[in-house]
Amino acid sequence: MFLVHLWNYIRGYVIIIVTGRGLERFINICSKRQILLWDIIRKDSESALMKASLRGFRLMRPAAKKSGCRVRIQKKCGLPFCLNRFKKRKGFKIGLLLFASLLVLATSVIWDIEIISPKPELVPQVQNVLETENIGRGSFKRGLDPKKLASRIALDVDGLAWVGVEIKGVKLYVTVKDSIEPPVLIKNNEKFNIVAERDGIITHMEVYAGNTLVKKGDTVKKGQVLVSGRLESKNPDFGTRDVHALGKIIARTWYESSLPVSMVYTQRLKTEKSHDTVYLRIFDQKIKLGGEPPFEMYETQTVDKFLSPFGIRLPIGLTVETSFEIMERQIDLTMDEAISVAIDTAKKDLEARLPDDCVVVDEKIKQVTGDNGTVYIQVVVECEEDIAGLVPVAE
Amino acid sequence: MKRGIHRIKGSGKTPKEPGESLGEKLARLFEIPADVYGNRPKVTAIGRGEVMIENFKGIMDFQDGMIRINTNNGVIRVTGERLVIREITSEEIIIGGKISNIDYDA
Repeated sequence: MFLVHLWNYIRGYVIIIVTGRGLERFINICSKRQILLWDIIRKDSESALMKASLRGFRLMRPAAKKSGCRVRIQKKCGLPFCLNRFKKRKGFKIGLLLFASLLVLATSVIWDIEIISPKPELVPQVQNVLETENIGRGSFKRGLDPKKLASRIALDVDGLAWVGVEIKGVKLYVTVKDSIEPPVLIKNNEKFNIVAERDGIITHMEVYAGNTLVKKGDTVKKGQVLVSGRLESKNPDFGTRDVHALGKIIARTWYESSLPVSMVYTQRLKTEKSHDTVYLRIFDQKIKLGGEPPFEMYETQTVDKFLSPFGIRLPIGLTVETSFEIMERQIDLTMDEAISVAIDTAKKDLEARLPDDCVVVDEKIKQVTGDNGTVYIQVVVECEEDIAGLVPVAE
Repeated sequence: MKRGIHRIKGSGKTPKEPGESLGEKLARLFEIPADVYGNRPKVTAIGRGEVMIENFKGIMDFQDGMIRINTNNGVIRVTGERLVIREITSEEIIIGGKISNIDYDA
């Protein structure tokens, strides 16, 4: 019965008051004519309250005429009347439409991208590919082919064994599995020489293939052939044979950096003044609120703040860029201080220049006086490294 | 004595209802339930608050304390307090309220 009532509510029904002496006759005629009536309550000797469907109410007129009753609507109930009321409210309709369109829009957009990778260094590479494909927060899900994107990432990022792209709701999941790099293949029919990559003294040699031209303790120049790929036979009748030279040549090398000692040091100091520039962020878009910092020199520090109700980070938030004013001040130094400052800078300079695979063996600091009286600090670092460089032999 | 003979005669048979048609006689012969065939009213009372009458002809009287319903077996009168017709179609009528009597008064 509940379902029938629900159906009636959806279709709409009316509560009517029927007045007249032939009330029983009215009810009988209605039931004979398949007009459903329910919840009939006797009000007094002449009238009764009852409910009837909209369709039934329309068919009721002949029955009322025959029985000599008067039918009056007391209340209209049901969904059609509810909706009817909203028909007049323009704002409500607009709001409803707006809500629906916003909902559709919001669900057709990617809100977040999650890259699942066993190696953290692969994440920025995948992000780069996504950027070049113009996929980010706020891009539409339509026209995004996960299979195509997966193959694109697999092609563009090196060292991937498998890529899976999946759209779950409004989130884009990129799952990446890394592969083990294959070893470098060496073809024996190619001709290669080993050449010194930089100047040095050879301390240790391991030659696997080729004709060694130098020996331990030799001083070599950059570009000098250390191991030749051409094997010459002692018997000239056999001729020569070309091989791919292979080996490790560990040599002692030197790196130096020299700097004039300056008695004046420029100090950068933060003043107490600062300026905030606020950006409104929607997806990856930045909207600037407020002006440029009014300083000549400044350092900036950015803080991102995102709306995150219930622990879900929304792509809407603020970025605050705080600029601190910087003042430069010249300080006069004593000789000792000046030298230590110069040594520090020279060491930092050297560290940046040293190759990755070298081992520092010794470090020397020299003080040299130049022609015009300026004092130079010279830092020399002694290293041990593999200087073997493979160079193909031209025919 | 007479009573006993009468009992033997009528055993195994339900008493005849007045105005039984041929079809109903046949239905009884083949042991078809009476509510499946025929237009006899079926009165179902659930608790005290609901009476359902199927196969009725029409309502004769409808008051707060009494409803009279015309059927093929005569008039059925339902009395009680605050009676309402929960639903009425051409086949069945459901009466609600606090029911005290169901009479066959024809």
